[in-house]
Amino acid sequence: MNPISSALILGGAVLAVLAGVGLLRFKSAAARFHSAGKASPIAFIFVAIGAAPEVGLFGAAQLAVAAAALVLTLPAATHLLFRATHHTSSSAYLRDDALTRDRINQASKETQP
Amino acid sequence: MITSIAIALFVVSSLCAMTRVIRGPGLADRVIALDVALVALMGAIATKAASTGSTTYLPIVAVVAIVGFTATVVMTRFLEQGSSS
Repeated sequence: MNPISSALILGGAVLAVLAGVGLLRFKSAAARFHSAGKASPIAFIFVAIGAAPEVGLFGAAQLAVAAAALVLTLPAATHLLFRATHHTSSSAYLRDDALTRDRINQASKETQP
Repeated sequence: MITSIAIALFVVSSLCAMTRVIRGPGLADRVIALDVALVALMGAIATKAASTGSTTYLPIVAVVAIVGFTATVVMTRFLEQGSSS
């Protein structure tokens, strides 16, 4: 492997470790979702860019498809998970002073009699 | 050498995610931790492909990306349905 590929792959691996450590160490669930949903697609982008010159044109195309799928879908999945958690759990997934105004639960309280 | 270090780092990341899967207080924590473990798996497969130069296992990476998204969305629907009914 050339040195730039090695550096990019190592950087992606370090970012993946940071995502895992953030998932393990953060106190509130919302902070854990942030750590997982932002760091891991960037980690995979780094690894895919680093690996792309080593696997030929067809392999690079497959890596690009995988990276595009991950970048398009993982933030959407994290957002859906945020919404579900916000709808279902009444408290204890955020800190108390994290929200100043809660539009989602306010709207659901207005629709429910 | 670089490949071994990178794969060891991916293993560390996936062990952190698995610890969160076992310990996690809610279902949402477990789902997102499984997602991080899947990303670590994809990175490890891509690293191995880059070190050997073979493209045999690269379709698995794309398939795992799409299947992981589908699984997360399905679990999200399950979370919302389970609370309302």
